[in-house]
Amino acid sequence: MKFIHRVAHLIFPRESNNQKAKLLHNSSLTLIVFAFIFYQLGITFLSRFGPNVLGFAANISPDEVVRLTNEKRTQAGLLPLSLNSTLSQAAQAKGADMLNKGYWAHVAPDGTQPWVFFTNFGYKYRYAGENLARDFANPQSAVEAWMNSPSHKENLLSPKYKEIGIGVVEGNLAGVDTTIIVEFFGTKYADTLPVAPIAEAKAVVATPIATPMATSVPTTTRIMVPTANLSIGEPRILVSPFNVTKSVSLGIVGILLFVLVLDGFFVSRRRIARIGGRTFAHLAFLGMILAIALILKAGQII
Amino acid sequence: MKGISKHIPHYMVLFGILAAGILAFLLFSYDKGFQMIVATAVALSYVAWGIVHHSIHRDLYLSVVIEYLAVASLGLVIVFSLILRS
Repeated sequence: MKFIHRVAHLIFPRESNNQKAKLLHNSSLTLIVFAFIFYQLGITFLSRFGPNVLGFAANISPDEVVRLTNEKRTQAGLLPLSLNSTLSQAAQAKGADMLNKGYWAHVAPDGTQPWVFFTNFGYKYRYAGENLARDFANPQSAVEAWMNSPSHKENLLSPKYKEIGIGVVEGNLAGVDTTIIVEFFGTKYADTLPVAPIAEAKAVVATPIATPMATSVPTTTRIMVPTANLSIGEPRILVSPFNVTKSVSLGIVGILLFVLVLDGFFVSRRRIARIGGRTFAHLAFLGMILAIALILKAGQII
Repeated sequence: MKGISKHIPHYMVLFGILAAGILAFLLFSYDKGFQMIVATAVALSYVAWGIVHHSIHRDLYLSVVIEYLAVASLGLVIVFSLILRS
């Protein structure tokens, strides 16, 4: 009985809670906000110092990324890109470099530009571009995310590129196990007209990474093939920080929406006059938060 | 329902703000920074809407403002967490 009274106190407007569900009191809402912040700090702490259980389990096949990229290009009336193993090695090296140095960016903290990986593997390019993605569960969602971003789409659908290389690396980045997809685009210097005007070449610089023209033959320094590449598609038991955050968020918002509806119904039925915010406005706002929580998906692109 | 129909013009404004927020999230799914700006703008607009609405209806009290701030903060904390974890 005591438990039922406590629950009723939390979700129904009654005398014990001054005719307003206790969960909707300012003190309760503030408590929920701070509890959620501490929950997030807990996840961050766990990812840095706790057991290695946080991460994004993914099953990314490089061939599938190439296939999907070419599918998009064909749909746009462009020629498909041919897979170049040198470019794939370079992309793999870029991914490994990000894991080894712990960065998530086009340019490494030490200033290493992406096209350094092209030249290090002996790929003498005229045009080069790079798309990066991480934490996507499958290749489809990564390619779709690139297509939704104007700058990445421009790279993906650029007629300047003839070849593609895909690197997929798995490892720990900032305390979270992750899968990074590196998509390198390129056109060999030898495949283009030898006397193309410089001005024209500058005008077709790929985005999001500026790709300077190779005006001279680059020095080739072979770098080590990455060691961070784990076997792809292996089943791993990981708790995704995004998914647990999303689940808890949906739970909190769902409960509050339910209590707001109940509270609003009883207040309206009993014609209770009280000072407070508009229930309908709170319902609309939290409804929007619910919609956003459902829209947002795991995965980052740069 | 009677109370809602009385405030329809006000709720239309609120729905406009919230719908614009959702639309911006959909259109700029690739830009997390912009999504965070949108979330902040919508939360602030929500609080401002509450203050203006209650002020017009002459039932604006500190506890009401705190209530709108608490709901907006909760929404903002949830959306920020999801964006940063995604």
